[in-house]
Amino acid sequence: MARDDAPWKPSNLAKAARIGELVERITHPIAKRTYRKGFPYLPPTIPLGVAVPEDEPTLGADYDTKWARKSPAKFVRKGLVNGPIRIAIKGLASPKLYGVDRLHDLAQMKDPPPLIFTPNHHSHLDTAVMAVAVPEPWRSKLVVAAAADYFFDKRWKATMAALALNAIPIDREVTGRKSSDMIKELIEDGWSLMIYPEGGRSPDGWGQDFKGGAAYLSGRTGAAVVPVFIDGTGALFGKGMKRPKFGTTKVVFGAPMRALEDENTRRFSARIEEAVTELGDESLTDFWTARQRSARKESTKLTGPEYTGWRRQWALSERREMGTAGLRRRQKRRWPDIGN
Amino acid sequence: MPRPGFVLEVDKSTPPILFWRGENFSLEKLPAGRSRVIYAPEPLPAIEDVDGAIRHALLNPIEQDPLPEQLFPGMKLTIAFDDVSLPLPKMQRPDIRQRVIEAVLDMAADAGVDDVHIISALALHRRMTEAELRHAVGDRVYDAFAPRGTLYQHDAEDPDNLSYLGTTPHGEDVEINKRAAESDLLVYVNINLVAMDGGWKSTATGLSSYKSLRHHHNPETMIHSRSFMDQHRSELHKSNWRMGKVLLDSGVKVFQIETTLNTDTFPSPFGFLAKREWEWKPSDRMTFLASTKALNRTPTRLARKIFHSIEAPHQMTSVQAGDVEAVHRITTEHVYKQQLVEVKGQTDILTLGIPYISPYNVHSILNPILVMCMGLGYYFNMYKGMPLVREGGVIIMTHPMQPDFHPVHHPSYIDFFEQVLADTTDPKVMSEKWEKQYAEDEWYKHLYRTTYAYHGVHPFYMWYWGSHALQHCSRIIIVGGDPKTVRRLGFVPASTMDDALEIASDVVGRAPTITHLHAPPLMVADVS
Amino acid sequence: MKALKISRKTAKFAVARLMSPVSTIGAAKFGPLSLVNESAPTMPNAEGWHRIQPRLTGICGSDLSLVEGHASTYFDDWVSFPFVPGHEVVADCDDGRRVVLEPVLGHACRGLPLPFEGAAPGDGDDYAHLVGGHLAPGIQTGFCTSTGGGWATELIAHDSQLHEVPDNMSDEQAVLVEPAAGGIHAALATWPAVQAAIQRGETPIVAVLGAGSMGLCAIAGLRRYVPQVRIIVGARYPHQQAFARSLGADIVVPAAELARAVRRESGGHIVGDYLSGGCHATIDAVGSSDSIMDCLKFTRPRGRVVLLGMPAVVSLDLTGLWHRETALVGAYTYGTESMPDGSKRHTFDLAIEAAADCQLNRLVSATYRLDDYQNALAHAAGAGRRGAVKIVFDLRASDARHKKETN
Repeated sequence: MARDDAPWKPSNLAKAARIGELVERITHPIAKRTYRKGFPYLPPTIPLGVAVPEDEPTLGADYDTKWARKSPAKFVRKGLVNGPIRIAIKGLASPKLYGVDRLHDLAQMKDPPPLIFTPNHHSHLDTAVMAVAVPEPWRSKLVVAAAADYFFDKRWKATMAALALNAIPIDREVTGRKSSDMIKELIEDGWSLMIYPEGGRSPDGWGQDFKGGAAYLSGRTGAAVVPVFIDGTGALFGKGMKRPKFGTTKVVFGAPMRALEDENTRRFSARIEEAVTELGDESLTDFWTARQRSARKESTKLTGPEYTGWRRQWALSERREMGTAGLRRRQKRRWPDIGN
Repeated sequence: MPRPGFVLEVDKSTPPILFWRGENFSLEKLPAGRSRVIYAPEPLPAIEDVDGAIRHALLNPIEQDPLPEQLFPGMKLTIAFDDVSLPLPKMQRPDIRQRVIEAVLDMAADAGVDDVHIISALALHRRMTEAELRHAVGDRVYDAFAPRGTLYQHDAEDPDNLSYLGTTPHGEDVEINKRAAESDLLVYVNINLVAMDGGWKSTATGLSSYKSLRHHHNPETMIHSRSFMDQHRSELHKSNWRMGKVLLDSGVKVFQIETTLNTDTFPSPFGFLAKREWEWKPSDRMTFLASTKALNRTPTRLARKIFHSIEAPHQMTSVQAGDVEAVHRITTEHVYKQQLVEVKGQTDILTLGIPYISPYNVHSILNPILVMCMGLGYYFNMYKGMPLVREGGVIIMTHPMQPDFHPVHHPSYIDFFEQVLADTTDPKVMSEKWEKQYAEDEWYKHLYRTTYAYHGVHPFYMWYWGSHALQHCSRIIIVGGDPKTVRRLGFVPASTMDDALEIASDVVGRAPTITHLHAPPLMVADVS
Repeated sequence: MKALKISRKTAKFAVARLMSPVSTIGAAKFGPLSLVNESAPTMPNAEGWHRIQPRLTGICGSDLSLVEGHASTYFDDWVSFPFVPGHEVVADCDDGRRVVLEPVLGHACRGLPLPFEGAAPGDGDDYAHLVGGHLAPGIQTGFCTSTGGGWATELIAHDSQLHEVPDNMSDEQAVLVEPAAGGIHAALATWPAVQAAIQRGETPIVAVLGAGSMGLCAIAGLRRYVPQVRIIVGARYPHQQAFARSLGADIVVPAAELARAVRRESGGHIVGDYLSGGCHATIDAVGSSDSIMDCLKFTRPRGRVVLLGMPAVVSLDLTGLWHRETALVGAYTYGTESMPDGSKRHTFDLAIEAAADCQLNRLVSATYRLDDYQNALAHAAGAGRRGAVKIVFDLRASDARHKKETN
C-alpha cells in the first residue's frame, strides 16, 4: 500500500480499473450484438462509385429551432431554468435585480405585449443570468438571439443552446433577412426576444459599439425595447477565462422605449445605447446622479475612455472597483459578529 | 360598469351582514324592517397609463406654470410627501408617490437642479422605517438620496429646523419646516384617500409643529367640524386654509400634486369582504369560513402580522397638479365621485365593524384609543350634511378591544390609558388638565425624534377626533371587547350584538332603527 | 392552656411546602402546626416577668411562611422548637393592665446588660443576646420555646416588652400596633434618601410596592413621620388601593403600573426595563424576586430600596444595583428611631399614636377562634384575593381564660 504522503495514489487507479472492467463486462455483450446486427442499428457504409448528395446545411444560421418551442422541450426547459440553472446562477453570481418595477404596468395588463431586452454583454453567464432575472410573464416566453457561428456550429452545442436557453441563431455582423423574418414571426406570436446589441462579448472589459439589430427589429415588429445593464459578470467569467469565479452581479432594467415618429433605426439605436449607458451609471452610482449626468450629456461611456494600452486597463480597474465585483471585497466584515 | 353605492333595507330574506372585529370578522343578523346597510360604490376603473397621466399633469398644471418652467439651475427644490398613514392598506409596488417623485426628479434633472431635499411630511406621527420609506418612494430614489442625507423625515421638535411665519387673523401660529419654507419651490406629493386629506392641510399640518397644530387639533375645533369629509363645514379645514393664506403671503411657493385612488381594497381571494353578501359565490363562502375558523385559532400576534402584510390593489383614478386650492377642488370631486352614497334620514343606532387598521397603526397594534378614534373619529365622520345617527342616539362597535399597546410606536398611549383616562374621558377636561405635560414630556420628545414613536400629545388628538361623536351620542357600546378596558374608556361592554341592542333599549327603545356602515371599503354618506 | 404549636418535624415542613400553593388548609392540617392542650410556660427565675392572656393576636406574613414551610433555613439557629407562634398581641396582664406586646426578646428580658441607656428590646448591633441569657434562643416571643406565643390562651412576657394600652384605644387598634411599628421603622429607614433630596431642593418621591398590612402601615408611617414626601403606591387589589388612599398616599395605581407611574411623577426616560431616574426611595412590602427587581428598576441611581417584606431565597440580577449605586437595606422590626427632626423616640410609642390616629382598626378584616385556625390561616394566606388585610385570632371569649379580677 502506498503511503498517504506519496505523490500518486495507485490505489485510486486500481479502483478505476476495476470499475472500468465491471462496466465493460456489462456493456460488451450488448455492444457486440449491436455491431453484429449492423445497419439500421449502425449508420450505413457507402458503396463505392456512388455519388452521395450533400446534406442541406442544418447548422449555423440554418439550424431549425422550432422543436425547442414545442411542448416537451418547453416543459424540460422550464424545469431546467427554474431548477438547476437558477440555483447555479444564484450560487455563482448572486444577481441583485433593480428596476423591475419599471415593467410593472406592462405586467399588469391582461395581455402583456412581447418585449425586446437589450443587455450589454461581457460574459457567457449573461444569458443564464437574464434567463433567471427577466420577470414573468416574459421569462417563460423568452427567446435568446445567440451567435450562429459560436453556438450553432456543432450539433450538440446547437441542441443544448436551443433546449436550455431557447436560443435562435443570428448572424453576428449583419442581421440576415432569414433571421430577421424568423424573429418577426416569433415576436408576432408573443415571444419576447433577448439580443445583445454589442454582438459579442467585450474583449477587454469595456463595452463595444451597439449595432442596429435591436432597433431595426423593434421598428419592424412594434415591440418595445427594454434596455438592461448587467454589472459584474465580466469579472466572474469574462472572455478568455477558463473557469468562472464566485461573486455578485447586478441587473438593472430600464423603462420600455419605442422609436419616436421620424426616428430612423440609427438614431433609435443610439438612444438605446444612451439608455443602457445611463443604467450603467445608475448601477454604479445612483438613479439621481445618473439622471443628472445623462441630462448634462456627461454619462461615462460604456466603451470607455479614449486611451490605449495600460491606461485603458487602469481606468477599467477603477470602474470595476465601483461596481459589484468590488463590492464583495469592500463588504468583507472586519469585526466578528457577536450578534447584537 | 362599477355600480354606485346604495342603501339596503334589511328584510327577512337578507342574509347576515359582515362585521369586522379587529383581526377577524363575523356575520351578524340585523333586525328586519328597521335596519339598513350602506354599501360603498364599486371601485372606479383606474387610469391605464399612469406615468403618462402624471407627466400630463405636471406639464399642464392648474393655474400655475408647467413644472419644467418653474425649475432652474441653482434653485432649492423640496419635495414633500404623505407619510406611512396613507394609503390604507399599503399599495402594491410601485407606490404612487414613487411614480410622481421620479417624474418630478426627471424634470428636475433635465433642468439642471442640484439641490433637492425630499421630506416625509409626518407632523407629529412616527418616523418611517427604512423598509417603509423604500416602499413609498422606491429603491431608486431611496438609494440615491438617503445616503446623502437629502431624504429625511420632518422633525417637529427640532427648533433649528422650524420657521415661524406669522399668525392668522384668528391668532393661530403658523410654523413649518424651515427647509420647506425657504425653498424656491415646494412640491407636495399627496394621496387623497378620503376627502379630509389634501389642500392646505398637506403643508400646514404635515410640515408643521405642535405650536401650530394645537390651534386646530383641539376639542372645540373638532366638535364644530361637521364633518371632516366636508371641507366647507369643517372648522379643521377652515383653520388650515387660514394658515395656508399666511404661507402664501410669506412667499412659500407650493406646487401641489394630488392623486386619488379607487376603492379596490382587498386582493383576491379576499374580494368578498367588499362584496354584497347575497352575491357571495361558493368559493367566497368557503374562504370566509376557512379564514374565520383559522383566525379563531391563530394567536393575535401572528394574525396581525398576516393582516398588516396585505397589499391592496387600489390604483390611481386621477392626478392633478398646480395651485393648492384649485387642485383640491378637483380632487375632492373625484373623491366624492368614488365614495359618495346618498342616504335619506338618520337612525337611532349606528353599528360599525372596526377593522385591524387605522392610519396610526400601520405594522402595529390597534390599541383601545385607536379603536375609539377609528369608530368615533373616522367612521362616525364619514358623512356630509348630518351624521348617520340622530342626536342622542347610540353607536355600537364590534372589536376585541384588548389593552394591548405597541411599546415602541405608542409609548405615550400607555400612560394616556393608565393616567388620563383613569381620571377623565371628557376631551375638554383632559385638554386643560393633562395635554400640556404630555406635549412637553422630555422622554416622549426623545422617542419621537430618535425612534419610531408617535409624539407624546398624539393620543389626545386621537381622543379629540371623536369629540363630536362623544357629544352627539348618548351611549357608546362595544361588542366583544375586554370589559375593564371598555369601561375605562367610558363605554359600555356587551358580549353579543343582541346584548348590545338590549343595553341600548333604555335609550332608544325596544324597536330602534339601525344603520350599518359596511366599511371598509371607504365611503361618504350624503345624508339628507 | 390551649395553644397552636409548631414542632420540628422536617417531614411535616416538607408536606406543608408541597401543599401550600394548592391548599393552605391542607398545609395547616398536615404541616408542622397543631392544636395542643398543655400547661402554660413556666416563669423564669428573674424579676419583671408577667403572665399575660391574649385578647387578640394577629397573623403575620412571617408566621404564614413558617406554617407553609416556606421560611428560609436562616432562622433555624435563631429559634427554639417547639414554639407557639404569634407576636402581634394585645393582652390582659396579670397586674390588671391591658397591654400590647413588643415581641423582640432583647437584652433586658434575657438578663443581659443593655447596649445603651434607654435601649428598646430591638436595639443593639450584636445579635448574640438573642441566643443567650436565661431564655432559650429566639428572636421574638412567638419563636421561642421558653416564652410561649400569642396563638395561645396564655404566655409570659417581661416588663421591657409590655406597653400599656390607653383606655380610649380599642383592642382592634392595639393589635395593629406591632405591624404599625414595623411599617414606621421601614418608613423612617427611607429618611436618609429623602433628606438628601430635600437638601438638593427636590420633592422627595417614595414608592411603596405592595399594600398588604405591612405596606399600608408603611404608608401611614411615611405620611405621619417623614416630612414633605410624595407617596406613590402600587397595590394589586381595589380594597388595598382604597386603604392606601385613605392612609395618605398621593398616587395609587395597580401594582403592574407602578414603574410608569413613578416615571410620570419623577420625569426621565425608560431605557429598556429600567427608569433612567426614578424615585428617591422605595419600600418593598412584598419580598419576592420579582418585587425586589421591580424596585431596583424604578429607584433612582444612588437611591434606597428598603426591604420590608421578609424575603426568602431570591434570585436577582444585581448588575443594575451595582451600576446605579443603589442601597438595598433590610428593615426588621423596630427599636429606637432617629427622627427627621433629630429627636430619638421608641418606635412602639410612635406606633401606638399612629394606630389610634390613623384608625388602623379598619385593617382588621376578620376574627377567628383558635380552634378554627385552619380557616384563619387560609383566609390570611388569601387575604388580598378575598378583600381582606389583617386576620386575627379572637381569644376574648375563650373558656380557659381566667376571668379578670376587678379589685
